[in-house]
Amino acid sequence: MGRYIVKRLVYMIFVFILLTFLLFLLYQLMPANRAYTDAKTELAGLKNSLSAAEQDTKFQELYLKYQRRYGTDTNNKMILYLRWLGLYPFYDGKCNGIFQGNFGFSYQHNAPVVKVVGPAIRNSMLIGLISEICVLGVTIPLGIKCAVKKNSRFDRGTQVFTLIGFSTPSFIIYILFIVFFCSILGWFPVSGMKTPGSTATGWANAKDVLHHVALPCICLTFGSLASIMRITRASMIDALSLDCIRTARAKGLREKVVIYSHAWRNALVPLVSIFVGGFFGIISGAMIMETMFGFKGMGLLYLNAVRTADYDLIMFMQVIYTFIGLFSNLVSDLCYGLVDPRVRISK
Amino acid sequence: MKENRENIFQKLGRWVTRMFMGPAYEDRMYRKSKKAEEKKDGENKPDDSELIVSPGRQVLQRFFERKFAVISVGVVLIMFCVVFIGPLFMPKYYDAYTETTQKDLPPTMSFMKVPKELQNDIKMIDNYGSFTVGLSNSGKVYVWGITRIGATGLDVKHIPEEVQNAKIEWVSAGIDHIIAIDENGKFYGWGSNQFGQYAVTEKVLSNPNLAPVPEEVLDGVDPDQIQKVTSGYQASAILMQDGTLYIWGNKQAYSNIDSFIGKTNMEDVDFTLNYVVGLTKDRNSVFCGVRGLYNTARAAIGDKGTKMTEFLNGRKIESVTATTKSICCLLDDGSVALVGDFPTDTTQVPTLAEGEYYTEIQGGAYHFTACTNLGHVYSWGGDHFYQAEAPTGKITNAAKVYTGSFQSYAVDENDQLLGKWGLKGYLFGTDDAGADIASRVVAGGRVTMTVGAIAVIIEILIGVTIGLISGYAGGWVDILLMRIAEVFYSIPLYPFMLILSSLLAQASLTQNQRLLMIMVILGVLGWPGFAYITRAQILVARESEYVTAAQAMGVKEGRIAFKHILPNIISVILVNIVLSFAASMQTETSLSFLGFGVMYPQPSWGNMLTRASNATAAINFWWQWLFTSIILVFTAVCINTIGDTIRDVMDPKSSNDK
Repeated sequence: MGRYIVKRLVYMIFVFILLTFLLFLLYQLMPANRAYTDAKTELAGLKNSLSAAEQDTKFQELYLKYQRRYGTDTNNKMILYLRWLGLYPFYDGKCNGIFQGNFGFSYQHNAPVVKVVGPAIRNSMLIGLISEICVLGVTIPLGIKCAVKKNSRFDRGTQVFTLIGFSTPSFIIYILFIVFFCSILGWFPVSGMKTPGSTATGWANAKDVLHHVALPCICLTFGSLASIMRITRASMIDALSLDCIRTARAKGLREKVVIYSHAWRNALVPLVSIFVGGFFGIISGAMIMETMFGFKGMGLLYLNAVRTADYDLIMFMQVIYTFIGLFSNLVSDLCYGLVDPRVRISK
Repeated sequence: MKENRENIFQKLGRWVTRMFMGPAYEDRMYRKSKKAEEKKDGENKPDDSELIVSPGRQVLQRFFERKFAVISVGVVLIMFCVVFIGPLFMPKYYDAYTETTQKDLPPTMSFMKVPKELQNDIKMIDNYGSFTVGLSNSGKVYVWGITRIGATGLDVKHIPEEVQNAKIEWVSAGIDHIIAIDENGKFYGWGSNQFGQYAVTEKVLSNPNLAPVPEEVLDGVDPDQIQKVTSGYQASAILMQDGTLYIWGNKQAYSNIDSFIGKTNMEDVDFTLNYVVGLTKDRNSVFCGVRGLYNTARAAIGDKGTKMTEFLNGRKIESVTATTKSICCLLDDGSVALVGDFPTDTTQVPTLAEGEYYTEIQGGAYHFTACTNLGHVYSWGGDHFYQAEAPTGKITNAAKVYTGSFQSYAVDENDQLLGKWGLKGYLFGTDDAGADIASRVVAGGRVTMTVGAIAVIIEILIGVTIGLISGYAGGWVDILLMRIAEVFYSIPLYPFMLILSSLLAQASLTQNQRLLMIMVILGVLGWPGFAYITRAQILVARESEYVTAAQAMGVKEGRIAFKHILPNIISVILVNIVLSFAASMQTETSLSFLGFGVMYPQPSWGNMLTRASNATAAINFWWQWLFTSIILVFTAVCINTIGDTIRDVMDPKSSNDK
């Protein structure tokens, strides 16, 4: 087991480096030249009466200074990448990259990216965790029930709903919920994390936040209900048609034991990766939901970063996303071993 | 089969079968059920339901037994026809169409619904924007069309009590207000007064950008002395027979209004979208207070313009009629002079027969309608809604014509309505640019479906090839390819797409190049799914006897993989093609919704819904997202139903459960 994990981790690091390098190259295409803008700003800030030629030389000087500070005084992409990682020294001979704990500086928020991303992750996780628990709490019992009573009236009704839900892009579900609950019924506020200007603390504050978070949570839950429900039902049906289930029933086991112990264990195998992916996906945030509700989570942060070309922030968030993706793959592979005793991954 | 009679779905299924497989197959396939009935009747004929059918046919047969699947196939086919063939029937559609006066109109077909009581008794009809006002000879005012003014809650249909009781002599409609003058000269107005359209309030007087209603008008004008009452975007004018002009309204909509205030020598006046235009008593040029603006004239649309004085050559202008950007002058010899710009989509000024001349010209938003001394009607100018195609041959006794912005009405000398032509309304309403949503749904469907289809094709080409090679070759090739697939699989889709499409936005691509790039990106990021499925199927198929046999016969490896194994696993791939198609469509719509996929003005089912992300807009302009969403979801449901059904009928286990 230990060896397997180490092997996977080494491979993960390899893929991580490859992916980040590719992404890095891609972001180099973005037209953001910080050294240039900073040099221009500083030049404009100098109150002097330089001639055009003098201004030009002064600008070149400043430009070089900033390029050296930001480490963009070369066109070699490899060096740029290594500098970003912190493996290649800057002009002043010091390394200052990810390995030194410098993830970059967000120019839009005027703060180190780590400080910007922190609250966003917290917000996204708060809402994601609640809705993920709701989703699993609804889909697992319902999926099992539908699979066991396959082709019953209940199953067919649920099937119709999941088909429609599965075919509806999530943003249409959000629109419907917003129109219904905010505009028509007026139960929930449309956007934000709490009432603007509210200084309530303690219980009142919690109530206010809950009131604001409720509708995004409901929307997020409904948005992913249908697809997970379908998968749960399908894998449970597959599991129920296994030979071992027939054997278990032939042995005279109680139906509950057959379903929840024998069949569900088998059905879990294909579901594990989806559940694990779902839980890790919480950190990435729900881009569309957050945009529509103006909810300050990871998704909205990323979207705004892309819109404003906030280079360092995008790069850092992309690193987080990639890391989460790879890490959740690893965790779900390990979970296979937990739920499926046949899988002996150490071999 | 419980019933003896075929229901409509079975019939439909049979017809589709016949369409694809020919009558012989249909007969063979459906004889089975007939045989079963006959057998029930006691006849002892051999039952050929036991006959062996090939798996392909069996699958097809079982597919057509499912009515929902058959309906879905029909719906998807119809949808395809509509979005791919439909645009051929809307030749006048173009993506970037905008129309200021037609913004945010709800679905309606009532633009030309002249009330019954008015039809035989028309005194005048006027329209500037979405609603039309009519006046009968008995002095009663009628309003039809879209009478609610945006989201303001005002409705011009609620005619004030006093107007209903008075005998109205003159009436005129602006973009959001109506003015009227009764037999005693009393002035009325209703609708929006935000820019001082009809009432003088503190707010109006304190705003330097508004020209208030002149006191003479508020005090009352002699209705018999009035020559013309007309309204523009947010302004109105009353012209007296002695040449005195009263004009008021929003100076920001009409910057040259100041040049007209206090004029006493006017012959005619009208409003374009941005300028007031008039005719002074000397009648030899279009007066607009801006030097050289409307100074060239031409006899036909598209001609090179000549200076007004040269063009007139001693003739005098009788009247001026304005549309959004162009003006038509009726000259004293009964011919016309055209001034200003015309849209690209126009019909030409008709050539009149000998001895025929125009007696009256009216202007809509882009078109002109005229009647002649012989009672014929003609239309020319902007023809986007076929409003400039008059039923010339059918009407021979027209005495007067009236126009709406995209409509025309012909009236005979007894004030009876003879004919009406032009825009009836918008089936799905209009969007915030004033474009017809129904036609954008068709055009957007084409974009969305094309993106979905091409993305899936790219996914298949890459995914299946790599899956085949990987599964069949095994060894280090397999490991390498699967690692590559894993890398692509680990790329977070949405963030990556966002970056790529924002990069695309900077590269100056044409609309179609950008669309192509989006398809390629979707395809290139989506292929690992297909690769995994193909590889898993290959691993099973590789061990089958027919592959061993082919290998024993010395068939080349590549040939075995592509010619022997691929056809055997195609069914599984087919299911995924269908489901992926729906998924790609969803991804595209979500991206476009966020503003990173297909960009305005090119429509897609996703970016047409962008406005609905605002809760207030979503409820106020419900038609702007509801219809598109319904069509989008309905299409996706049908496609997914087809995919599910194919999977069900191809699964040999599922037959036992039924």
